[in-house]
Amino acid sequence: MISFENVGVRFDDGAKPVLSGVDLHVDEGELVLVVGATGSGKTTLLRCVNGLVPHFSGGTLIGRVTVDGRDTRTHRPRDLADIVGVVGQDPAAAFVTDTVEEELAYGMESLGVHGDVMRQRVEETLDLLGLADVRGRTLRTLSGGQQQRVAIGGVLAAHPRILVLDEPTSALDPVAAEEVLAALTRLVHDLGLTVLLAEHRLERVVQYADRVVVVENGHVSCDLPAAAMAMSPVSPPIVDLGRLAGWSPLPLSVRDARRVAGPMRANLAGRLPTRVVRSLPMDAQSQPLLTTRALVVNRGRRPVLRGIDLQVRAGEVVALMGRNGSGKSTLLAAACGQLPARAGSLRTGGLDPATLKPRELLRHVGLVPQDPGMLLYAESVGAECRAADIDVRAAAGTTRALLRHLAPDVADSTHPRDLSEGQRLALALAIVLAGAPPLVLLDEPTRGLDYGAKARLVASLRSLAAEMHGVLVATHDVELVAVLADRVMVIADGEVVTDGPAASVLAGSPAFAPQVAKVMHPQPWLSVADVASALEAS
Amino acid sequence: MTASGLRHAQKWLTPGNPVLAVRWRAATTLAATTLVGLAAFGWPFLARPSSALAHSTDAPWLFVLLIALLAALVMAELSSGGMDAKTVAVLGVLAAAGGALRVFSAGTAGLEPIFFLIVVAGRVLGRGMGFVLGALAVLVGAFLTGGIGPWAPFQMIAAGWVGFGAGCLPRASGRRERVVLAAYGLVAGLAYGFVMNLWFWPFLTSGAPVGMAFVPGQAMTSNLSHYGAFYLATSLAWDLPRGILTALLVLVAGRPVLASLRRGTRRAAFGATGQFAQPAGSPNRTCDDCLIGGAGSQDANHQEP
Amino acid sequence: MTRAAQDPRLPRLLHPAAWWAWAIGLAMAASRTTNPLLLALVVAVAGYVVAARRERGAASPFGAFLRLGLFVIAMRVVLVALLGGGVPGQTVLLNLPQIPLPTGSSGVRLGGPVTLEGVLAAAYDGARLAAVLACIGAANALASPRRLLRYVPATLYEVGTALVVALTYAPQLVDDARRVRAARRLRGHAGRGPRELARLAVPVLDSALERSLDLAASMESRGYGRSVHRDASSRRKATALTLFGLGGVVAGVYGLLDGGSAPLLGLPLLLAGSAAAAASLAVGARRERRSRYRPDPWAAPEWVVASSGAMVGGLVMVAAQRAMAGIILQTSPAVWPTLPWLPALGVLLGLIPAWLAPMPPLRARERAGGPSDINAADINNPDTRPDDIHPQHIGSTP
Repeated sequence: MISFENVGVRFDDGAKPVLSGVDLHVDEGELVLVVGATGSGKTTLLRCVNGLVPHFSGGTLIGRVTVDGRDTRTHRPRDLADIVGVVGQDPAAAFVTDTVEEELAYGMESLGVHGDVMRQRVEETLDLLGLADVRGRTLRTLSGGQQQRVAIGGVLAAHPRILVLDEPTSALDPVAAEEVLAALTRLVHDLGLTVLLAEHRLERVVQYADRVVVVENGHVSCDLPAAAMAMSPVSPPIVDLGRLAGWSPLPLSVRDARRVAGPMRANLAGRLPTRVVRSLPMDAQSQPLLTTRALVVNRGRRPVLRGIDLQVRAGEVVALMGRNGSGKSTLLAAACGQLPARAGSLRTGGLDPATLKPRELLRHVGLVPQDPGMLLYAESVGAECRAADIDVRAAAGTTRALLRHLAPDVADSTHPRDLSEGQRLALALAIVLAGAPPLVLLDEPTRGLDYGAKARLVASLRSLAAEMHGVLVATHDVELVAVLADRVMVIADGEVVTDGPAASVLAGSPAFAPQVAKVMHPQPWLSVADVASALEAS
Repeated sequence: MTASGLRHAQKWLTPGNPVLAVRWRAATTLAATTLVGLAAFGWPFLARPSSALAHSTDAPWLFVLLIALLAALVMAELSSGGMDAKTVAVLGVLAAAGGALRVFSAGTAGLEPIFFLIVVAGRVLGRGMGFVLGALAVLVGAFLTGGIGPWAPFQMIAAGWVGFGAGCLPRASGRRERVVLAAYGLVAGLAYGFVMNLWFWPFLTSGAPVGMAFVPGQAMTSNLSHYGAFYLATSLAWDLPRGILTALLVLVAGRPVLASLRRGTRRAAFGATGQFAQPAGSPNRTCDDCLIGGAGSQDANHQEP
Repeated sequence: MTRAAQDPRLPRLLHPAAWWAWAIGLAMAASRTTNPLLLALVVAVAGYVVAARRERGAASPFGAFLRLGLFVIAMRVVLVALLGGGVPGQTVLLNLPQIPLPTGSSGVRLGGPVTLEGVLAAAYDGARLAAVLACIGAANALASPRRLLRYVPATLYEVGTALVVALTYAPQLVDDARRVRAARRLRGHAGRGPRELARLAVPVLDSALERSLDLAASMESRGYGRSVHRDASSRRKATALTLFGLGGVVAGVYGLLDGGSAPLLGLPLLLAGSAAAAASLAVGARRERRSRYRPDPWAAPEWVVASSGAMVGGLVMVAAQRAMAGIILQTSPAVWPTLPWLPALGVLLGLIPAWLAPMPPLRARERAGGPSDINAADINNPDTRPDDIHPQHIGSTP
């Protein structure tokens, strides 16, 4: 179906090629997972399939890519539109029209499909993706999962044989991601579509894949999932656990792993994770960095938070979890003074943040927003750091030093938009920390991060906690919470559902348990690092 | 989307290498529209006393329809080369930015930052795209702030001229460029108001104040002085802020916005055509832009999996 | 579908061109008369039809156009009061102190007596313009100009797509700007002014341009541009028509302005040139005709609506041509305006669409008792509550 013959891609003459020597053959009806770190060339590989590289983005394509018998040298992306459908990360960026129905029909209109056939296909696609009850709605009012399904439906309505998806679930919460992946697997099995899928959060998808393609520094290797994962530089926690325990063949799903995990559970029975429970000094415990009491916050006229009680102390990392719409971002916005409290009280360091001027506020609390790029406006990393020093009236070079500590591989002259997701997050964090606020808030920091960047983030945040900052993270990412948080608070419907130590909240709940906990249930292990240190100790 | 795949340099957009070339047909259409536009705006002065137009109250409406038709024709000609998806997307997004600026400012006291965007984008993107962007931006602003009225075709053409003119400015860089753009912004802001007012003025036929009315049948010079008085009395207070704000924004905010636009258009790689090459080890034939199938597609190193 | 479309009782959206034709007919009628009672009747007719047949949903622009019309009348009256009207009059309302101006201001006068006749003349003129604006506002309210974008000719396809993209993106940009504003506060700035605008504009522009590239890639992958065909012969035809049309229009305008030359040179040439230009728009490129998703049908209700507007316009134009009493009011001496009954009946014909046009679907559903706001977030479904700052969500309720 798809075949790459000794393919290489080069963007500047003389620069290092992005891909080289790629030989890949994908048969019809396969679900192929493409994995690799950021910058390894995954996106370029996927874009070669429908000819976006090189017709759209320029550059040189070496070798040949053939799709269903058509050579991309002679076929532009629009010529391949009837057999290849491409879905990207941000569905809202790909919408051309206003409503769900029109978006589904747009691709077909471009291809010149007859009006009656269009009507029929739109109805089919609505049913296939479960969108029938939102058919007339404006696209902006849909949730993230629904929007992504509309984006998939938009390319699906043209009846392509191949679907190429570039990180489709990275902007979605776990529930929406499950919806989208379930829809995809149904499409593969019912319609026999060929699907090429690139993902960072492998734990969600690796068990569905027929084959896995590992991209590393422009070189590609393709294999069955278990074998590929055994050698892959990026791997989900379950694979790390398998490698640690030496299981072979490597189990990829929780069910398979539980079947072989019996001996390990027996080995570790009765032991507890040796994660250090820091005993906080008494005086730190008397003045929490953030206190809310019966907090009620509105957005517009609707109350979003209905009576939240929360405390964050110095030196602890608190994770805020809950589904979309439960109020996590609203709580963070209220904590840094963007939204006033309708009722109840919220105090940061004894003061109400909504009454503080911005200059004073950044000495008490700092927020890294969901899109860190919103904080950045300069033309180079160096200029950004200098501006931050001036903003907070700190000594010159403070921010740069912080950034060097968080992300050592960032050059001064790079444009902030050219940085990878992880580097941009590090820059935003450095800017926020320049004012040395005791309370640091992060809103969904792991969106779009690969495992390496996530690990660096975890290290940075834990070192912040060690320096007696208080960290509050709103996130969906259970694996992040498992390695990072001391306490977990779950919000639903604007109210607190659970508030307790991470170990008990995560291990005790089937919905929020990380993979390792699910495998090692009923033992309270949360992460591979815990298991590894316990095995070492024995 | 990570930047890794698109981190490559392309040629800078220079006035000699525009994104949307203005071909002779488009240039002719634009010239003709300019002439008719001058007539549409300036007919009170240009009409001879004996012409049928000079005595009718319908002339403004006639010109509205005519300019609407010609505006459509100009847009069709400028895009007749076939704008590709990148051009359409960038135009659409920048026009949205302009329209959103309009929503924010709502034209109070003539303060319209939309002209800053049109001037700066016209400079970066060139004449043709500057014209289309100017026209689309005010149209989007009109859509978003309430609706399409009879002033819309005139606004489109006038704003299009502003963008076109920005693309015609001589080459300069750095500080000098910003000064040139600021001066142009001041003049363009004033001219826009002057011209749009002209459209409105003949409507005040009988009710206009003494000495300011358009008096059908009078000589050009007296009508001109009447208009001058009218303009001074009513609109200068609105047009001067517009021009000054545009110039001020260019001087203060011009550098980062210009850099941002230039970077964006550079990454877009307008007009980039892919190149193709044979893998190393096969006979050394590079096949630039092999869009015609067949020839040169046999590579000796064809490998089976 | 076409059979069912003939029935005016079936709720559906009318073809937008029908509403615009109706509104233009009313506007033409309004532009012919200065009788304030007749103009008020036109505005009332337009308002009634808007109230009866407007689709539930976004705010109506009709009010904005009405307010603009009132502003025009007020500005006219104030100008006349301050600077004197061109109409001589006897009845003096009040006497403003006259401020002497330097000589050479060609008779301009500041202050002085304010006459009733002058004020009335200004008000009638302003009312005429306000009525035309109200009709256009009614058209905007009944058939959003966005829907007209689906019917652009193939030559304007790219520009139309750019416009659609812009209209889809603008709300996102506004949200982005709000978020960047909030982020600026986090860095310690809350100021306004041109410098802040730059700091605000750069992240918004950067992310907008990045997203535009994603959009372009997605459009390209979905086959954008495949359905529009331009070939050599159609371009030649279009070139010829364009050149002839432009020449005709320019010569026609010149002829109109000049007045002294042959009568053939004026309006007829202008019309011929315009027709040629319009034809060039139609033949320049071809689009797959059959490939349109759920096009609006043009059936009996559309004819009814369009022709009612045409009748109103035609009747009042004929009345004005015949200089019937009451169409153009004299202002000196000032008299109480009376409503001429025959033109008034003609204007009332414009009410026909209020009963004979089909009801819009959401409105019909609301009448039948169902939910009318199709976009109302389902309160019980947390996934659709737009109250979290999520990149795809709006920051505030719609």
